Amino acid sequence: MARAQAVGAGLTDADFTRFAEYFYKRTGIHFASSKRYFVDKRIEACIRQSPYDNFAGWFAALRVNERSGAMHQELINQLTVNETYFLREDYQFDAMLSTVLPNVLRDRGGVARIDGPVKILSLPCSTGEEPYSIALRVLEEWDRIDDVDVEIHGADIDSDVLAKATHASYGDRSLQRVPKPWLHKYFAPIGAGRYQVDEAIRSAVTLHRVNVCDTPAMRVFRDFDVVFCRNVLIYFDELSSRRAAENLYGAMRPGGYLFLGHSESMSRISPIFTPTRLPEGIVYQRPTGAK
Amino acid sequence: MGLVRKKITGQPEQITWERLSADALRALLGDPDPDVRREAALGLEGVEEAVPDLLTRVILETEPNIRDSVLTTVSAYDTEAVAGALAVHLASDDAALRTAAAEALARMPRSMPALLPSLVAAPDHDVRVMTVMVLADLIHPDTGYWLTRVIRDDPHPNVVTAAIDALLPLATAEHAPLLEAAARRFPDDPFLRFTVQAALPGLTGTA
Amino acid sequence: MTATETPPRVLIVDDAATVRMYHRTLLTGAGFEVDESVNGLEAVEVAMSASYDLFLVDVNMPKMNGYICVEALRSGAVGSDAPVVMISTEDRQRDADRAYAVGANLYLGKPVAGERLIRIATMLTAGRGTPE
Repeated sequence: MARAQAVGAGLTDADFTRFAEYFYKRTGIHFASSKRYFVDKRIEACIRQSPYDNFAGWFAALRVNERSGAMHQELINQLTVNETYFLREDYQFDAMLSTVLPNVLRDRGGVARIDGPVKILSLPCSTGEEPYSIALRVLEEWDRIDDVDVEIHGADIDSDVLAKATHASYGDRSLQRVPKPWLHKYFAPIGAGRYQVDEAIRSAVTLHRVNVCDTPAMRVFRDFDVVFCRNVLIYFDELSSRRAAENLYGAMRPGGYLFLGHSESMSRISPIFTPTRLPEGIVYQRPTGAK
Repeated sequence: MGLVRKKITGQPEQITWERLSADALRALLGDPDPDVRREAALGLEGVEEAVPDLLTRVILETEPNIRDSVLTTVSAYDTEAVAGALAVHLASDDAALRTAAAEALARMPRSMPALLPSLVAAPDHDVRVMTVMVLADLIHPDTGYWLTRVIRDDPHPNVVTAAIDALLPLATAEHAPLLEAAARRFPDDPFLRFTVQAALPGLTGTA
Repeated sequence: MTATETPPRVLIVDDAATVRMYHRTLLTGAGFEVDESVNGLEAVEVAMSASYDLFLVDVNMPKMNGYICVEALRSGAVGSDAPVVMISTEDRQRDADRAYAVGANLYLGKPVAGERLIRIATMLTAGRGTPE
């Protein structure tokens, strides 16, 4: 047995183990003891923002208090990185190009027989970096883009971020991963170091204001082949995340692909999707057929 | 070919779910097509008069995924009537149904506590194990009290070990005597003995 | 086992942290390499990315129960032929029948005594987890 020892927020080894176990069970994120210092600091911050002055009180409230929803959101904010920039978590776009889109094309009868466009949804799309990243990568790197139509949609609950997505102007921080040739080809400088996405791409991406938990509102989305829903379900309580998963399921074509954020797992949310192993990681599919 | 903007079409799908009345949705809960049953169940969110139909559907539904959709809608009604109807399934022989019912009940902190006196006293120890599974995830300030009671009083070692597992995340030094007493009550249970021995140092700070 | 052999890999699937810890302690003590999952769905995801020589699977778990999990482990997407031991608090004959029907090799009631678990795991993984 390790010695119980107070560190930082007054977390003993036993407290850390207990917290790590809880967080893993709830989210699927595992913090090894090598992350101890980081986790201690972040929990300290959570405790400071709570009405509790020690780990035991805060942790008990997180488990059993009716305010636990808000406390959980704060905890996720502290323990995960939630930034938006172009080409973030790019390996999932790699998976989309190398495996998912070819599979979609095959399953829909190939170029000759496909009926209607390939549909891709980015939800939440925040200020637009994700749907425009998808557009850029598909245009630049999918060898079938000249043979099929691709429809890209972005959706978010927040009208302020949607207004920014519509305007589509970005600074250094957002653009740092965009290759220079792409910047020249698809963006126009608008002064003060900012660049705006070209009209041709802006107008090709359809933006919607929607709450992912609102079943009737989510019915505008049907038959999507690919959905990116990254780093949002992890914030939700049990019931909301289930309903959101059901609504995403309803938005997808049978056999369609769902990408979650890299630290999220459907195993904490709902069994309605089928996990599929791609070289780039786990992706989820709406089952085909009425099994 | 290439990127295209969505074309606005008047009739995007065969069934315009938004326009269906609650009665129509209730009837569709029994549709032969599982996707239609699923949409009907989700569409009945907030339609209180459909709750009895949804509770019946929980029993009749043979597809576990569709039953999950039904439970997603019905467990938003955190009432004693709904909780009582779902608690019956904790005794089900169908593992998918009893675990789905336990998950749904764990999302019902307002009405679940009223059922606890009878559930923790259920004659079938499997029902009591499932009740502890609900308590493990129920967000309610009294879960510690109920788990403590089960650990102290339940005659079946599997119920007690499940309750210890659920209590440990909340346990403090005050619970040490309770755990020691449980280990003494079931001296032949190797798992219980191991669990208590492993947990005590962390609780009492004597590691 | 000799030092040149690869230890057999076991995946413990149980929503109870104490059960996972108990089984892990026993099996790592006996030289097995152990991973854990908290429910059937996570086990299926994990088993898609790594191969195991033995699965210990609980029955009553949220999101995906043990029976559906074992079915999925046996099905095409994972396609594991590794032995599966289901371990449950339910000790009725029909629960065992169901376990065997979905593809389990053994059905045990909880709790399993330490020496027994190690003996069973050793027996079931004999000839697995070691290079040719």
